[in-house]
Amino acid sequence: MSQEKLLEVTNLKQHFKTGRHSVVKAVDGITFDIYQGETFGLVGESGCGKSTTGRSIIRLYDATDGDVKFKGEDVHGKKSKKDLKKFNQKMQMIFQDPYASLNPRMTVLDIIAEGLDVHGLTPNDKERKARVENLLERVGLNKEHANRYPHEFSGGQRQRIGIARALAVDPEFIIADEPISALDVSIQAQVVNLLKDLQREHGYTYLFIAHDLSMVKYISDRIGVMYFGKMVELADSDELYKHPMHPYTKSLLSAIPLPDPDYERNRIRHSYDPSQHDSSEDPEFREIRPNHWVLCTTKEFEAYKQELTEK
Amino acid sequence: MDNILEVKNLHVSFDTHGGEVKAVRGVSFDLKKGETLAIVGESGSGKSVTTRALARLIPSPPGRIKEGEILLEGKDLAKLKEKQMQQIRGKDISTIFQDPMTSLNPTMKIGTQIMEGLIKHQKMSRSKAKERTIELMELVGLPNAKDRVDQYPHQFSGGQRQRVVIAIALACNPKVLIADEPTTALDVTIQAQILELMKDIQKKTDSSIIFITHDLGVVANVADRVAVMYAGKIVEIGTVDEIFYNPKHPYTWGLLGSMPTLDNEEESLVAIPGSPPDMLNPPKGDAFAPRNEFALEIDNEMEPPMFKVSDTHYAATWLLHEYAPKVEPPAVVKKRMKGFAASSDNEKGDEL
Repeated sequence: MSQEKLLEVTNLKQHFKTGRHSVVKAVDGITFDIYQGETFGLVGESGCGKSTTGRSIIRLYDATDGDVKFKGEDVHGKKSKKDLKKFNQKMQMIFQDPYASLNPRMTVLDIIAEGLDVHGLTPNDKERKARVENLLERVGLNKEHANRYPHEFSGGQRQRIGIARALAVDPEFIIADEPISALDVSIQAQVVNLLKDLQREHGYTYLFIAHDLSMVKYISDRIGVMYFGKMVELADSDELYKHPMHPYTKSLLSAIPLPDPDYERNRIRHSYDPSQHDSSEDPEFREIRPNHWVLCTTKEFEAYKQELTEK
Repeated sequence: MDNILEVKNLHVSFDTHGGEVKAVRGVSFDLKKGETLAIVGESGSGKSVTTRALARLIPSPPGRIKEGEILLEGKDLAKLKEKQMQQIRGKDISTIFQDPMTSLNPTMKIGTQIMEGLIKHQKMSRSKAKERTIELMELVGLPNAKDRVDQYPHQFSGGQRQRVVIAIALACNPKVLIADEPTTALDVTIQAQILELMKDIQKKTDSSIIFITHDLGVVANVADRVAVMYAGKIVEIGTVDEIFYNPKHPYTWGLLGSMPTLDNEEESLVAIPGSPPDMLNPPKGDAFAPRNEFALEIDNEMEPPMFKVSDTHYAATWLLHEYAPKVEPPAVVKKRMKGFAASSDNEKGDEL
């Protein structure tokens, strides 16, 4: 993994108007970088803004404020059609629901080739078909599947089609928004292994959004934890699981049930109470040890540091 | 402990245009008083259909209970008329459904929905029922029960709604509580609260719970015994420790292997290849054989019977036959059998 920044998100805000005077601050000023070739996991409860973050990055929403830079170039803001196209080709998305994200009236061939057509990547029908068949094989399906419709596939197979569609235009960066939560356990492992293999072969960079913390730990190099539109902790995934500092991260980790009856009988749960924080000043994102960032006030910062050195 | 529920050789089929879908193909188990039995399996394995059949909630047509007995304290529910069943449903057997967003009536007040069973089954007066409703809401941990009893479902969050659904299910002190993926739609932190609540209530009321889930972590947390279902059959059943620390069926191995540990070492997950069989034409022999790397030749010919591992532990795989070759579970699974916690960096019960 090189340390070259592929994506820089700076103070990203995404607010939605829900009435004349009410605004939902789905994402409220988050900052992070994603390096070339890594998998960045984004976790949090439903409603914490993790999906909105992913969608804002790929411009499905226009950001309220803040910058998203992809390879040093600004993603948001005015752009010509040509620039947009170029950018859209480099960044692709895999959606959560494999049942809703494939057009039921299109064949698999047309679904996967749509991106190729838009970007004019295939000169003729023969090559178009060959490329789709190649993609199908890459994601573990047969080329005979090309002429079928989505309803003829199981959930896991559909998610493979969704992945093939994302890969079709040769992207560098892929946002996977809960790609496995709609799938069965045994199938989840298949899809996660596929994503990992593809990354090893082609060097893709992933933003992996999920609420299943054990899967996120398994696939990610670094993890960001979100709570109510804010990033509360960011660290290498081992570091985060070994030394969670923010009380919310602790509560989230202590809530994952592990498939081990003995462990479960003795589990201690931490519940999170937002009022336990020091309210004397606004918390800031601070680095408590190299590459480990926590949202905290100065006082908490000292306390966390203390806690870390004691360990 | 006495058996409160005995299921014997249950078969459930659905008649469709394509033919008969055999969703449940000969399921037998029993449930003791005060215990929690978890049923695990993939979607389509028949776990939900089994439990719906217990409460006679299979729509007919197209569905029907083809064969088998469901003995609740000796009374066969499979043979009851709908009218008689209505006396039992909600009173002796009640169900918590998966999705709290859709299992409540959006046009009815929460209190009225909880009261329904009390008035119908326990013949309580409205005012008495309301008192009890407020008690129930406090029992399931809903704050300000007095004010909230007159609110509508949309005024509650997902976790709170599931608490309401649990309150409805508990209203008449059921002997058997069926929980069909009660926490799947919830966040992990809320899930932990709901599981704690259910265990707590079980201790207080001594009811028996059948818990359906596909999350093995949840199983380890709540279950006393576990039944693993595949293609409409129970392929392995045993106490929770036997299933997790000494699994015998290759499908159970696969399920355990496909769960990630919180370990440091990067190892590949053992995915179970392929997908579950089409229940319109269940394969001959062992339905799991096509996905099973340990399949023997006999698996394609004959279905394996249940082999006894211990008094409480049974598994349906030919690998347990005396003539079968000795097969060890894959290394990754063996590691998991030693306990996930042991293989992770955190000590048991240590603060995470």
